Amino acid sequence: MTRTRRLAVSYLALAAALAVLFALNLFWGSVSLAPGAVVAALLGKGQDTLSMNIILQLRLPRAVMAALLGAALSAAGYLLQTFFANPIAGPFVMGISSGAKLAVALTMVVFLNRGMLTGSVTLIVAAFVGAMAAMAFVLAVARRVQRMSILVICGVMIGYICSAITDIVVAFAQDSNIVNLHNWSQGSFSGMTWANVRAAALVALPALAASFLLSKPMAAYQMGEEYARSVGVNVKPFSAALVLLSSLLAACVTAFAGPISFVGIAVPHLVKQLLGSAKPLHVLPGCCLGGAAFCLFCDLLARSLFAPTELSISSVTAVFGAPVVIGLLVRRNQEGAR
Amino acid sequence: MNETFLCTANDLAIGYGKTPLLSGIALGVQPGQILTLIGPNGAGKSTLLRTLAGQLDPMGGAVLLDEKNLSDYTGTQRAQKLALMAPHSRRMELTTCFDFAAAGRYPYTGRLGILSAEDKRQAHSALERVGAAHLADRDFNRISDGQRQRVLLARALCQQPQVILLDEPTSFLDIKGKIELLTILKELAHGEHLAVVLSLHELELAQKIADTVVCVSPAGVSGVLTPDAAFAPENIRALYGLTEEQYAALYGAPEPPKPEANPAGPQFEHYVRSGQKLLRCGYTTGTCAALGAAGAARLLLTGHAPETVALRTPKGIVVEVAPIFCRKTDTGAECAIRKDGGDDVDVTTGLPVIASVVLEPDAPGVRIFGGEGVGRVTKPGLDQPVGEAAINHVPRQMIAEALEREAENAAYTGGFAVTISIEGGAETAKRTFNPHIGVEGGLSILGTSGIVEPMSQQAILDTIQLEMNQAALRAKNTDGPRRLVLAPGNYGLDYLASALPQFERFPVVKTSNFIGDTLDMAAAANFEEALLVGHIGKLVKLAAGVMNTHSHTADGRAEVFCAHAALCGASREVCATLMDAATTDACLDILDGANLRTPVLKSILAAIQLHLDRRAGGGFRVGAVLFSNQHGPLGETETAKELMTEWKM
Repeated sequence: MTRTRRLAVSYLALAAALAVLFALNLFWGSVSLAPGAVVAALLGKGQDTLSMNIILQLRLPRAVMAALLGAALSAAGYLLQTFFANPIAGPFVMGISSGAKLAVALTMVVFLNRGMLTGSVTLIVAAFVGAMAAMAFVLAVARRVQRMSILVICGVMIGYICSAITDIVVAFAQDSNIVNLHNWSQGSFSGMTWANVRAAALVALPALAASFLLSKPMAAYQMGEEYARSVGVNVKPFSAALVLLSSLLAACVTAFAGPISFVGIAVPHLVKQLLGSAKPLHVLPGCCLGGAAFCLFCDLLARSLFAPTELSISSVTAVFGAPVVIGLLVRRNQEGAR
Repeated sequence: MNETFLCTANDLAIGYGKTPLLSGIALGVQPGQILTLIGPNGAGKSTLLRTLAGQLDPMGGAVLLDEKNLSDYTGTQRAQKLALMAPHSRRMELTTCFDFAAAGRYPYTGRLGILSAEDKRQAHSALERVGAAHLADRDFNRISDGQRQRVLLARALCQQPQVILLDEPTSFLDIKGKIELLTILKELAHGEHLAVVLSLHELELAQKIADTVVCVSPAGVSGVLTPDAAFAPENIRALYGLTEEQYAALYGAPEPPKPEANPAGPQFEHYVRSGQKLLRCGYTTGTCAALGAAGAARLLLTGHAPETVALRTPKGIVVEVAPIFCRKTDTGAECAIRKDGGDDVDVTTGLPVIASVVLEPDAPGVRIFGGEGVGRVTKPGLDQPVGEAAINHVPRQMIAEALEREAENAAYTGGFAVTISIEGGAETAKRTFNPHIGVEGGLSILGTSGIVEPMSQQAILDTIQLEMNQAALRAKNTDGPRRLVLAPGNYGLDYLASALPQFERFPVVKTSNFIGDTLDMAAAANFEEALLVGHIGKLVKLAAGVMNTHSHTADGRAEVFCAHAALCGASREVCATLMDAATTDACLDILDGANLRTPVLKSILAAIQLHLDRRAGGGFRVGAVLFSNQHGPLGETETAKELMTEWKM
């Protein structure tokens, strides 16, 4: 069975890439550490507290978070693509990340101005509310507009509006917070704590598992809503679940790392090409592995390319992701004309 | 044997939003049958299919799948019995034809939809079944339209359905593709006993493939028709709103137009759907007479011969026709209207009904006379007294009303004398029952609604079968023996409601004149007990073994009375008067006079029981209850007596 072998080989390759990139993220940083010291720190036998701290409190949680949020973002993109039956749907282009970003920014400023710290839960809730609001808007537009390109333009416009409001909000923030907020609003994996990781994992992992359990009706839904209904899919709760899960995943990412562009489109597309299959059952695990690897790779570049200056994660993902989206658009256009 | 209907619609109303698009839909399809939906675009074929498939909720009535309400199925259960093949337009990413077909295994796979070896085997055999095995590894986006439809069909077959619904499966296919696909469907239905429902635009193909046909038009949905009835040129023209020329251009010349037809005049266009198909209505001789009288009166009162005359019939339908002629005579004016029976062609169709009107300025009111070709009443018991012209009271009223309206329009206060005659009426009348019932010398001017509503025999039989199926469904859900009430017509139903209301809880089937056929259907539907409640005028024929009580088939009512009276010792004179009686009520009066009613009825009831038992062939118990509108209850047969006692418990 060539197909089974291709799937197995692809998964192995993705897993290997993930492992290698994960390791690189631990070994490579602005403070150069000897590989031996890193391994020792990981095994809990580190000699000096500085390297122990760098590895265990900075690099390790950051790498875990990048992997986790990458997986969540790719899966969110794939769910949206299934829901809209379009490969260029994604949380960023449709303005869902931006909605979450605005809600989070507002929450942060309000809390910080009152001298309170915003906890992970608050951030996730705020992001989810913002994501759902943006999603509701997109759905309202989608009901009126059939063409995907218009929907995407609407999404981009929402993005701009949200960014503008976010900037205004930032202007009213106290000076000390501005830098923090600004960094975050550009998208970054820096400064992740284990508490953040725990909160993100508690949201993202169950959501990913739930998405995976939906892969059977998703396969039927890919053949058309009417077909799905005819084979017994209860379409209304199913599509509601798709919307909720994708918003939740996108919100979770935005709450911790800010808006990250194009991962949700590029990764599912590349994974499908790699696997040679578009079945959700195959693609979703691939998306998790691929998304994690992709984000680790981009984060590695973001913090090491111009070290010690860190690039925003979005600038790196855009460089790699946007061409994929452009390629998809061009190909669709050609096929549409056919 | 009793064939079950796999997919049935009962009084179904369909549509989107608030008001139903179509309602009163009744249809059924059996295993091994292909039911084809035809009709113009936008009439609701797809909506009907989607409602049958459970994609749309009915707005009224119910869809039954394998005798269970469709809404009682879970999605998976339904998908294991019923597959819908709708047009597929979506691009499939990285999907082979095998993947596509195997998606149909959805209702059988587990939580994650992983295909088992059996699922894969089914998908391969489905592809093979539709002749697409060689496409298994091809990309679904890169196959031809014909191949695509076959793969779609394979996907539907993977559901292992008992019923398969297809929405215009032949659209966008070339002729070869269409024929190949329909051939596969035919094999599936006839070879593998699937029930197939499909909508088709290609009538010539539909005609070849259909076992039964349902016409869907914006005006309504027909019952289940035979292909012959459905594809009759008149039906197709009416269904698609084609003119004769358009139809001829497509399907060859229709029968040449009748030479006597008046091409300038408007044809009466009113259609009924007798539960079955679109049939053109006609109008009665009474309507002709009233129209003629109006035409002649208008000529006299206004001096102008009208181009067309119109009136509203008692049924509420306006009939407007051009007279054959409308001219002045020495004393008044006469106007001729051609009788049109619509699709119910009888002996009177085409005959000119002539009304001669004379103004009587000094004698207000309308006097009506029968002229040449109109019969005269010679026996009592008819609508008119003996000696009068055979012009029934409703036509008389219509004539009077028409004339009064003309008078009012012309501000004329006098009266009219009208003589109605029918050209060739005396000759034609010999071929009717008129001489027998006591109308001599011509035809009758009759009709109570003014409109002739045609109904074909097959149409009626199909309607009965439908009612029988519904009754069988009802009976199935009740405990105890399967019981059924039969009534030939509305008289029987009214009597049942007033005299035997306790039996109204049992399913009732209207047999029309087809009592024998209905008994056969009841046997096939596994009914165990049946009670036939009917007017003696119909049921007395059963005593002579006449199981189709339509007067076209046989009469013999007087003969039955006569024979049984003779058996009971009636005199020759009594027998002779019985033979001459016009109606069964008249017969009963004669028997009362001879004090023979009880024994004769007893004898007749015994004969009816004998013939009913013979027809039932021991398959089930059946008895008859007789009544007459004038004489009330007349008794019941032996088995009926037993059944009525048992049923009361």
